Amino acid sequence: MSGKASSSQLSVSSSGSGGLSHVYIQHPPLRCNVPRSRGLFYDDGNKLFIIQVFSWKTAPFDPLVAPTSDLISEGPILSIRYSLDAKIIAIQRTSQEIQFFHRETGQNFCHKCNPESESILGFFWTDCPLCHFVLVKNSGLDLLACDAESKSLQLVKTRKLNVSWYLYTHESRMVLLASGMQCNTFSGFQFSSAGIVCLPKFEMIMAKSEANSKPVLAAEDVYIATIYGRIYCLQIDRVAMLLHSYRFYQDAVVQQGSLPIYSSQIAVSVVDNVLLIHQVDAKVVILYDIFANSRAPISAPLPLLLRGLPRSNSFTSRSTAKDSESPEANISDSESKIYGDDWTFMIPDLACDVSNKLLWKINLDLEAISACSSEVPSVLEFLQHRKLEASKAKQLCLAITHNLILERRPVLMVAKAVEVLMVSYSQALKTGSYLKGIKDTEVNAQFKSLKTNPKVNKEKLSGGAERSSTEVHISSSQSQQLGPANSPLNASVSERQESQLTSPAISPDEMYSFVFAPVEEEMVGDSSYLVAIILEFLRSASSVKKKVKPNINVLAIQLLARNERYAELSLFIINKVLEPSKKVAMQLLESGGQNSQVRKLGLDMLRQLSFHHDYVLQLVQDGYYLEALRYARKHKVVTVRPSLFLEAALASNDSQLLAAVLRFFSDFTPGFKTTSDCHTYNRILYEMNSAVAV
Amino acid sequence: MGMATANSGGSEGMELCIFDLRRGQQEGQELDKILFFFPADLPFSTQLSVIGLSEGLITFTRIFSPEAACELIEAERHSHVFYEAEPDIWMVMVVEKSKEAEAIWRIDALREVLKEIHSLFMMFYGPVREMLEKDPSGGLTRAHLYPFVMDYLSDFLVGKKTQLPSFRDCLKEFGTVQMLTVGREAAIEVQSLVRVLESGAGATHCYSLILFQDLLVSTTLSPDDTINLFAYAIQRLSPRALSSGASSWSYLRRGSTPSHVVVGPTFATVSVSDQFHHLPANSPSQDNSYHVKRPLQHNRWSKGKDGFLVTDIWGTETGSLIPSTPTIWLQQTGERMYLCAYQYKSLTLILLVPLSSILNGEQGVSLVKQQVLENASLKILKVEEKLSKGWGGENAYHVSGYRYLLIDDDRNVSRASPPAKVTTLAKESLLAMSKLREEVDLEKSRSKWDNADRDKDLEICIRVKNNAWVIARTTRGKELYMVLERANETLLYASDAFEKFSDRYCGGAFSLD
Repeated sequence: MSGKASSSQLSVSSSGSGGLSHVYIQHPPLRCNVPRSRGLFYDDGNKLFIIQVFSWKTAPFDPLVAPTSDLISEGPILSIRYSLDAKIIAIQRTSQEIQFFHRETGQNFCHKCNPESESILGFFWTDCPLCHFVLVKNSGLDLLACDAESKSLQLVKTRKLNVSWYLYTHESRMVLLASGMQCNTFSGFQFSSAGIVCLPKFEMIMAKSEANSKPVLAAEDVYIATIYGRIYCLQIDRVAMLLHSYRFYQDAVVQQGSLPIYSSQIAVSVVDNVLLIHQVDAKVVILYDIFANSRAPISAPLPLLLRGLPRSNSFTSRSTAKDSESPEANISDSESKIYGDDWTFMIPDLACDVSNKLLWKINLDLEAISACSSEVPSVLEFLQHRKLEASKAKQLCLAITHNLILERRPVLMVAKAVEVLMVSYSQALKTGSYLKGIKDTEVNAQFKSLKTNPKVNKEKLSGGAERSSTEVHISSSQSQQLGPANSPLNASVSERQESQLTSPAISPDEMYSFVFAPVEEEMVGDSSYLVAIILEFLRSASSVKKKVKPNINVLAIQLLARNERYAELSLFIINKVLEPSKKVAMQLLESGGQNSQVRKLGLDMLRQLSFHHDYVLQLVQDGYYLEALRYARKHKVVTVRPSLFLEAALASNDSQLLAAVLRFFSDFTPGFKTTSDCHTYNRILYEMNSAVAV
Repeated sequence: MGMATANSGGSEGMELCIFDLRRGQQEGQELDKILFFFPADLPFSTQLSVIGLSEGLITFTRIFSPEAACELIEAERHSHVFYEAEPDIWMVMVVEKSKEAEAIWRIDALREVLKEIHSLFMMFYGPVREMLEKDPSGGLTRAHLYPFVMDYLSDFLVGKKTQLPSFRDCLKEFGTVQMLTVGREAAIEVQSLVRVLESGAGATHCYSLILFQDLLVSTTLSPDDTINLFAYAIQRLSPRALSSGASSWSYLRRGSTPSHVVVGPTFATVSVSDQFHHLPANSPSQDNSYHVKRPLQHNRWSKGKDGFLVTDIWGTETGSLIPSTPTIWLQQTGERMYLCAYQYKSLTLILLVPLSSILNGEQGVSLVKQQVLENASLKILKVEEKLSKGWGGENAYHVSGYRYLLIDDDRNVSRASPPAKVTTLAKESLLAMSKLREEVDLEKSRSKWDNADRDKDLEICIRVKNNAWVIARTTRGKELYMVLERANETLLYASDAFEKFSDRYCGGAFSLD
């Protein structure tokens, strides 16, 4: 589904792509078909998916990527990981031995541990300055460093501990070592580039099914999740049917509350900082945004959707089976099976169908999520936290706000929505994630496409039963236009945009061009509602200490003047609710055509902002010639031509005035007496006076 | 009560009448013209002679100036101030001149009083002409006018005398509003509250007025309606008005008594102003068949439990004890509106809801009130907090060394030195300023006829006997008056001081050369 198509049905109650879901996997998957292969590994340090000697890059995810292969010697592979610079491959051969291969030179060496007392549980590479390689054994950790030629490993440090099993993610750089009878006592170490952080020991709570039973915590029941840069540990308590969460701090581990689970088999993914809890038995996913304080799920549990399959396929046939014609032959049933028995989930966002050797990337369907909630401010907040599809989130935010105003939702709600956007913008500026000068045109183009279908908006305004049917019609027609062949291409397009936009934050200027200006054009009827919204917008902007561009002020003036709400307009100006600027002043002068008081406000503003030239011109235009001259003299405005005054004075047909103006220039403008203007007007004045005399 | 007290009333030195030129044109029916006369106990012959003189002059001057007839008669001992309130409905005030009694008047200020009486009357009852058409006998109009004007005048009672604005009030401007200066952030909050108020009522075209203390913060009404409602609000609805009971027009008295002293409704005031509060038996309102509401009566407003102000002036709804919600009539739209006033600490909010938009009367109004409370109470707290934080107190707008009055004619806004500070000025200074203002008034009305759409620049500087500078400058619809006592003797000094003030407090509006 392309960005364009999706954005035109942004607030449609369900996205028209086949079924209700908030999370999808995009067909086709990465097919890792290697004949006669065993063992399937994921090297999260390098984001490589490895089967024997073949490795597939999974980031960025591209189902058509070709595998690379390395030549390694024969032998069993218990585990395999590439060094972070991808020069060395480490392969665990047995529980005592790890073999290292140089990819360039083909050299190799071995590292062994004491065969009697120890066995290797696993290993990983780190970017920690102290050590490059960490070996996890049942007796503790060995921290090893490579020598300069990378020919052997030196032991830097050992930590003695009893370890039952361990857990490591490269994302968090954190290793958790389980020990104890129930395996619920944990030691944690973080190997970050800043050094090693040793966490205090902590215990995980486990409910007992019977008084004396002592359940043992399994490695599969614990996850390390990195959400918004914070590190959490999630523990499944099968007895209590709860997912406990713990947050790691430098010096403490704090329990953060629990989430309910509804399935005996649970898997956890994190996509774009959203926590996905797969209730595997029930075949549904529940989404949580841990950023918000509430522990309530973002939306109702819905199945994981397989997208991009032809319609005839059994899974999607429910909705639109009848219109589809030629099913693609090569789609096997196995590919469309969701949550198969041997599905494994890899942190953060990959799912692997082991038996079929298929790798899926899990994606969020932002449109669907945003469409499912009527709590618009919280939806916007959610969208503003999305980094992965920042540009799509941004468009969604703009479109939602746009529609919110068009539909004349309560001012308080819109105010809250706008505030969310402004707060997020100011935060993005603080953290520097809001790139200035992002390709406006691109956003613009996409937004335009959103608006190309005015029918959608109109239908929404009119409301009623037929509205939904129309929208469904639109969406289905659009999804028909997009053949399945289109999808991978579009996916790559959105990938490109992601690299440009790192934050969905919306600047006040964009609010104007993509929300207020279009809304103003489309809105019919009383504009005081829009004024109220603009005011709330100004309020949010000022509460985060951000200035708005004059164009929004100009718009507010136009709206107020159009409704002849001059009392409010002058209050807005006098109290600087609409900040003074030349544009604002000019708009006041223009709107002041109907109301002299408004015009005066504009004049005063020009004067106070020291736009002397314009001020003098306006005074002349109003017929205050002498005042204009006095002002020009005081502020040394020399840019206004004498002839302008002279012509105006002549036009007034007042010889006294003409004389005064002439005298002024003769006295105060050096060289004026020799100009042709001087002679011409002196003659005219003479004629005027003689005419009066006669 | 009755005749006896009426005679002892504080009417000396002042007569006030309202008459309709379209009535009583037949011989013998002259009495029909009179809609109101104060003092009411004057014999009809005297009343008729005052009105007859006025009518004669109006008819005579109309020959030369049909649109604007007679404005003023200056006799040796009296001034007659004319005001044509509505076509052919005239108000005339006769004041006695007396140097000793400090009865030195500025005519425009007196005319503003007449204008305010009429505007307020219209705000509550609609145009006089319409009322006359409704009841051609005039009884309805007289029954309304009499108590209304008497209630109004009772505000000017000092002791037993009606004290009209004199030269001592030259640094005040009647018929304008005084505004609170607010910062941008607070202003945005206020405006946001206004939107919530007006949209919360659910009806179309509500209006609102927000006051802090006795100062206007926001209005969405037209300028004329704003002036009227503002005047009423600070007299009867503001926290000060509620707490101080039957005090006089605060614009006259403000500052001369400490504002925080709560003066309860004392018996003394009531008994002195007997004539005002209890209508004499021989008054035209004798006819009790008219049910007359007296919105200007004192001590009839109080704060209800829910924060809304309540009054029994408008009676109660038939069959219940709930007081009816007051209604007012808007000049700009000619529409009748329910007036809901809400007060929180120093903040007074007035919401006007069209009668036509509420179908089920009081029930609907209380629903609106409830909605306002639901939607806006948080914002009200916030606004009150912001405004109180920025509030500089009674003397917030005092500028040391200056006694000033700044008027913006376009917006009908004025700001002046606090009254307590003005009273420190010498009598000479005040007299000079009053005289100067009269000159400016004259000049203004002249230029209005000469060139209606252009404002004239004017500057006058006077050195008074007591060595004070009295300065006036008008420019493009703004006026600034200033008294500088104990100042340097050079004109340069005075004009420098003036420029400085203009630059700092008027955005440079008066320093054009």
